[in-house]
Amino acid sequence: MNDIKDHNARSRISSALTYLVMIFFTVMALYPLFWLILSSFKTTTEFQMNKLGLPIRWVTINYKDAWVRGKFPMLIVNSVLYTSLTTIAILVFSFMAGFGFAKIRHKATAVLYGSFVIGILLTLQSIMVPLFLIVNWVGLYNTRLGVLIPYIGIGMPMGVYLGTEYIKSVPDALVESARIDGASYAKIFWMIIVPMAVPVAITVAILTVTGTWNEFMLINILTSSDSLKSLPVGVQKFAGALSTDYGKQFAALTIGLIPMLLFYLVFRKEITKGVAAGAVKG
Amino acid sequence: MAKVQTMADTRREQKRAYWTLVLPGFLLYLSVMAFPTIFSVILSLTSYNGGKLFGGRPIEMVGFKWYARLIADEYFYRALKNNLWIVLVSVLGQIPLGFFLAYVLYRGLVKGRDFFQTMIYLPTVISTVVIGILWKSFFAPHGAFPELMRLFRPGYEYSMSSHPMLPVLFVILWMYSGMYMIIFIANLQKIDNTIIEAARIDGASEMQILRYVILPALSGVIVVTAILAISGSLKSFDLIYVMTGGGPANRTSVLSIYMFDKAFKGAPNYPLANAISTVMVIISFFLIGLTKFAETRFGGRE
Repeated sequence: MNDIKDHNARSRISSALTYLVMIFFTVMALYPLFWLILSSFKTTTEFQMNKLGLPIRWVTINYKDAWVRGKFPMLIVNSVLYTSLTTIAILVFSFMAGFGFAKIRHKATAVLYGSFVIGILLTLQSIMVPLFLIVNWVGLYNTRLGVLIPYIGIGMPMGVYLGTEYIKSVPDALVESARIDGASYAKIFWMIIVPMAVPVAITVAILTVTGTWNEFMLINILTSSDSLKSLPVGVQKFAGALSTDYGKQFAALTIGLIPMLLFYLVFRKEITKGVAAGAVKG
Repeated sequence: MAKVQTMADTRREQKRAYWTLVLPGFLLYLSVMAFPTIFSVILSLTSYNGGKLFGGRPIEMVGFKWYARLIADEYFYRALKNNLWIVLVSVLGQIPLGFFLAYVLYRGLVKGRDFFQTMIYLPTVISTVVIGILWKSFFAPHGAFPELMRLFRPGYEYSMSSHPMLPVLFVILWMYSGMYMIIFIANLQKIDNTIIEAARIDGASEMQILRYVILPALSGVIVVTAILAISGSLKSFDLIYVMTGGGPANRTSVLSIYMFDKAFKGAPNYPLANAISTVMVIISFFLIGLTKFAETRFGGRE
């Protein structure tokens, strides 16, 4: 506290500079999104003359057009379906496996669990083409199942890794005494493991929801019918094709932006925690 | 009523429970990730180009033919070069920037940490598709960027064709720096505060605390973020696919777009596409190994 007096003026300048820098980065992060939302309330004709300013006349016609012509209700239903089913399946299967790996001694664990950990390093790109061929071969091309199974499988390594490491911290004595009391493994899983694993389940759920909701490459190559597409694919098809009809394009982009924006504003604490936990796995 | 069980019964039940728990997840992983990865490598050594996988035209093994084709392809090097640019921007741009932002917020150099953190991280959570089209329109010749530049430099003429990678690299920096900020904040919070306070009482300056207390404590995390940045850069696909599609004239293409073009555009060449993805995996493992090596060779203590 004593140095505050001596460097009062200097520290005030450096503090002001720090604020300026931070505000600069915040404006940089937000400006494009503001620009997008503002532009979505202009007609295309107005946009061409007034690219940067506020709309002179706020119109909502772009939204009405995009909402109907872009088939957004259907796309949103599809996205909710894919995301929720994928998340539930990943949680159930990866925590089951995590329970097995962490609490039942078996010589296969080293190999099986090890292969999941290696899987974290594998990328979607390295399996995109073979997955496309395999999905075709087994006759699941252009079906919901043919999208869901790959989504679930791709999420498994991270889910199993985070689940197993967390369940390891559940005391063995808890499981053993339940066993002695005659509880089945299924009962132990639902009554002891699942309630205790809620914090890490939230992390896995957050990572899965954001990843699945935003995914668009795989679903793009694994389906052809419009009725099976998700929101990002729909946005890409609809807005990407509108190279000059800016008003409608920006409205479609804003519609695509809103679900994740809301999700983020509601769960921002959990999301940032999940990102940090998911990242430090090396 | 307690059941009477023999040891063998318990063992058997344990085994059955183990496989019931582990198998569903493992089979999913095996069929979706592990098998396709191996399948991809095998495919890259064959002559397969569409049609039935089994029972159709016999598929020949052609050895490293496609890899030789790859090495001779000019397009491959252009894509690789762009990937390396992205690696550079990620490691030397996103990580230092993310660290700087995290440090300012963690040390409480500004108030409203929650606000800044929330806003700066925001771009990361939005769909890449939305981001890609948004920036494409922003940087378009008739978009907002030339207009914005004219506010500062009247008569500014913008042409994307002079440096087509620049907007892409900028957006990558814009989109992901917040992620590194979050990772650094989470790990800065793990540092024991009493050490920093002790250093401060001993008269250490802000710079000295950073240099001698905080950076050494974070060396492990810095390596992890470097690995993330490298593997992320090699994977980068969505954003560029939406923003430029690799154009104009493949000048913003990267390895994954090169692969995608070979597999899904025009006449498919699956073996070549798989050769590209195999090379991508090898490069990324090599770079990750290099980073790990650099850590043990030059890295500080955890």
